[in-house]
Amino acid sequence: MAETLKPVDAVTIGVGLTGSLAALEMVQSGLKVVGLERGIARDTVPDFQSPAIHDELRFSIRKAMMQDNVKVAVTFRNNSSETALPIRRWESFLPGQGLGGSFVHWNGQSFRAQVADFVLRTHLIQRYGQKFLESCGPELTIQDWGVTYDELEPYYDRFEYLLGVSGKAGNIKGQIQPGGNPFEAPRAREYPNPPLKETYFGAIFRKGAESLGYHPYPQPSSNLSRPYTNPLGLRLEQCVFCGFCERYACEHYAKASPQTVVLPVLLKNPNYELRTSCEVLRINLDSTGKQATGVTYVDGAGREFEQPAEMVFITAFPLNNVRTLLLSGIGKPYDPTNGEGVVGRNYSYQTTGGPTVFMDESININPFMSSGAPGTMIDDFSGDNFDHSNLGFIGGQYVGSIMTGGRPIEFHPTPPGTPAWGLEWKRAVARHYNHTILIQQHGTSMPSRRNYLDLDPTYKDAWGQPLLRMTFDFPENDIRMSQYIAGKVVEIGRAMDGKIVVRGGTKRPYTTTVYQSTHNCGGAVMGDDPKTSVVNRYLQCWDVPNVFSLGAAAFPHNITYNYSVTIGAVTLWALDAIKNKYLKSPGPLVHA
Amino acid sequence: MTFRRLLLAGAAAVFATFGVITLVQAQSAGRQPDAKHGAVIVAQGTAAGAPPCAQCHAFNGVSDASGAFPRLAGQSAYYLTKQLRDFASGERASAIMSPIAKALSRDDIADVSTYFVGVNAPFLPLKAPDAALVKHGEELAQVGSAERRIQNCDNCHGPGGAGEPPAIPYLAGQYAHYIAFTLQMWRQGFRKNSLNTMGVIANKLDDQEITAVAAYYQQVQSTLEAAEAQGKD
Amino acid sequence: MTEVSRRTLIKATGAIGAAILPAGPAFGTANAAKPSGATPAATSSICAAAAAATTYVFFNSEEAAFIEAAVARLIPADEEWSGALEACVPNYIDKQLGGAWGAGERLYRGGPWQPGTPSQGYQLPYTPAELFRTALGAINKELSHTPFTKMSPDEQDSFLKKLEAGGKDLGGVPSDVFFAHLWESTLEGFFSDPVYGGNCNMVSWRMIGFPGAYASYYDLIDQHGIKLDRAPMSLAEDAHGHVHLNPGIPARSP
Repeated sequence: MAETLKPVDAVTIGVGLTGSLAALEMVQSGLKVVGLERGIARDTVPDFQSPAIHDELRFSIRKAMMQDNVKVAVTFRNNSSETALPIRRWESFLPGQGLGGSFVHWNGQSFRAQVADFVLRTHLIQRYGQKFLESCGPELTIQDWGVTYDELEPYYDRFEYLLGVSGKAGNIKGQIQPGGNPFEAPRAREYPNPPLKETYFGAIFRKGAESLGYHPYPQPSSNLSRPYTNPLGLRLEQCVFCGFCERYACEHYAKASPQTVVLPVLLKNPNYELRTSCEVLRINLDSTGKQATGVTYVDGAGREFEQPAEMVFITAFPLNNVRTLLLSGIGKPYDPTNGEGVVGRNYSYQTTGGPTVFMDESININPFMSSGAPGTMIDDFSGDNFDHSNLGFIGGQYVGSIMTGGRPIEFHPTPPGTPAWGLEWKRAVARHYNHTILIQQHGTSMPSRRNYLDLDPTYKDAWGQPLLRMTFDFPENDIRMSQYIAGKVVEIGRAMDGKIVVRGGTKRPYTTTVYQSTHNCGGAVMGDDPKTSVVNRYLQCWDVPNVFSLGAAAFPHNITYNYSVTIGAVTLWALDAIKNKYLKSPGPLVHA
Repeated sequence: MTFRRLLLAGAAAVFATFGVITLVQAQSAGRQPDAKHGAVIVAQGTAAGAPPCAQCHAFNGVSDASGAFPRLAGQSAYYLTKQLRDFASGERASAIMSPIAKALSRDDIADVSTYFVGVNAPFLPLKAPDAALVKHGEELAQVGSAERRIQNCDNCHGPGGAGEPPAIPYLAGQYAHYIAFTLQMWRQGFRKNSLNTMGVIANKLDDQEITAVAAYYQQVQSTLEAAEAQGKD
Repeated sequence: MTEVSRRTLIKATGAIGAAILPAGPAFGTANAAKPSGATPAATSSICAAAAAATTYVFFNSEEAAFIEAAVARLIPADEEWSGALEACVPNYIDKQLGGAWGAGERLYRGGPWQPGTPSQGYQLPYTPAELFRTALGAINKELSHTPFTKMSPDEQDSFLKKLEAGGKDLGGVPSDVFFAHLWESTLEGFFSDPVYGGNCNMVSWRMIGFPGAYASYYDLIDQHGIKLDRAPMSLAEDAHGHVHLNPGIPARSP
């Protein structure tokens, strides 16, 4: 029998990036907020210190910072005709767990989206025509987001200054800036910090790309290039290029994470209470089904509680957001057979995979000296930056040399033709380890009628609730896109004086057995039309207006870039509306 | 010991010099640093007027227990080279070391650095260690401080403070007085040849913490040796 | 000759000179031409001794014999560098299988079970410990007349390749699934931090030039193309370079 607790003003389900931001805005507005986190509390000192944190087996291979598959997993199938089976060990994507969430162990790659991304359907039809769009894939469910880049720009700015992003502006109010990305969406001002020192592999890529007429620029980074005090008065330090970034936490206070940019202020606020090791089972609704009354959760000792609340923020990582909505009966679940319903619809991912370039053995790359966002990139093939008229696909990828470390269990490249094991293999590893450059292709993921999330009929988690079921494969459009760009990138590899260039490009079927990206996206998308979206442009549920689903579950397609900074911008935009409008007058913020 | 025997003992203590030296780009192109020549400079000084390093640092680089002069024995050659060059250029200020460093040629600098790398010499223990102070220092060194938001020292300074060659010097066995003095120099901005790093950290430490960390590091090596001698690791 | 701390010498010169090695089987003298770390010969004799001294907690003697011989073929030694056997990889695998990971740490173990598509990954009920035990039992039974350890290296390679190709059932474990686990564990044991009991003397890190767990490179990152020439460092070593083993570190967030 669940014990009912004293009511609070708001609850966040999950205390990662969006949970921390939401709680801070609300407590600063005078609300009493409880943050419920499935994982444990942790902080830079003592938990993220090296040398213990520089343990590749523990963090990269065993995935110590991720959700524990013993307790909860996701089931997967490539299409509806298959039976979904549990992902028994994470590989392809790695949902995080613990205070700070995935924003503790992310790489800090800090791009904005492009102007066209937010109005993608309108833009593509305007540029190429409806017929062209159809020809790229009639099953694609591309739609506009309901918010524009111009509306979001001030929030991008605010978020970048909160993090201390280190980069070089390429377009300030329409003026192209030398040294930056000429293709970037216009920004009001420079980054808060200058770019990181360029790595050797970045410099080699730069020369090769420039020789072909492309426009290399430094990757914007939330591993900071110098000490910085953010607007909350929190101080970050300078990245030392340790090469243990993604899947690891930062020992030096040099990576933007909830711990370094928000939590010390939030945790001190008397209106806020953090409860860890708490698994939220569902959001409770009143008898009308249109108002949330709070949440039910189980604590670490197995005790069940009901936490009444006036508002519920779902801030649990995209996949968990969608699952929470489904388990709570909020919104109509998507049915792929007839295309009706919205929860679980427009699930997308990321299209990745670039070439390997084997260099001359006199060139010491030293990949172990790196940060999480060390890249030199080009945007010449991102999004819609090039003319797709005769290419038969839409979307694009950024291209760059972004080697975030040289940790040997994960990185021991050998050229094609090398045996998979044995003496020749070992010699090849010794020969090529320090003379090989990886180039990343990283790009758009278009939504499809066939790709969606729902609840699994068979498999359950440790609390007895159905697992989320994922049905996904790369649309043919995205394969064509990545293969086209792969051909271009091979030329860059050769221009870099690569002795052997092994072509990249994405293939079907999508497999969960190899890491690709943790940028799972969609399933509770934002929009203007309740028939094709779960939340409105302020991330407020159409069906239950006191529930807000924050994070990338709201994105109707995945953009070219790592979406973390866009998550921050859209979240701050939504929170502003909640603070200024909703709190004064609770109810639907948008009338459809 | 006669001077000559000192010299020979020192030379015998020098090992074949390879390894770290590839990073010491120093000297005349293609020239390998010469530890034997370095030993001569350490013992005799140079014709250009640099006094013998041994006058303050002792021939074996152990200086003396006062901690007025840092222990140089076994220090990273890259690091010593950088400090000498910084003394010469003014990037690092020292009334004592600047004229000395200026009197050394780049080849001299490479040679003395290489000499000191290869010197094996005893670690002088901390006199009258305050157990609580050392414990506090150990915590800062191995864990850091959550309240002050300072990462631990070993992150960069290596296991037990034994250094992270080539660029980051050892602290283990360095004199407490010298470490404390140096941290004060960082804090006050008189030493600034480590961009955005040591100055930042030193400014987060209070006097008590500086004393603690310094005491801890001086005794690391001698304490470890004693433990190993007794058969516990 | 005064005692030199191993840490001092390794740190200073990036090599283990012959002068400080404990008495034992013959080692080569310090090889000035190989500045990137311990001389292969010196490493291999330290490690061979350590490997021979392995105390198995999971494998029985028959299983251990197969594993030792198998990893010696997967990553063989040569005159330049040690292989997986000398690097104590069998010890690593043994300690992992005998610990939390072997027992199913971080593995979704719920049924029902059915074979999936390649995209769906591992779908067997076995924990790693159960998988190895089952497969090794079947292998050793099949080879009872000609044990793996008695085969020539070529025959051993051939047998391993057959396992790798799949199509054989090892008491319920498909042979390619077993092989994949064996190879992945061998890679981990070869390249992981020596705290886990493998990568003896950090031989794999010396081989490739990976500096290890201490990694502050701000001063070096813009010296493009430098040859970084220091001995690697384990997360578990003390100021004298002595690695304190701890194979049971749990795979949990700190």
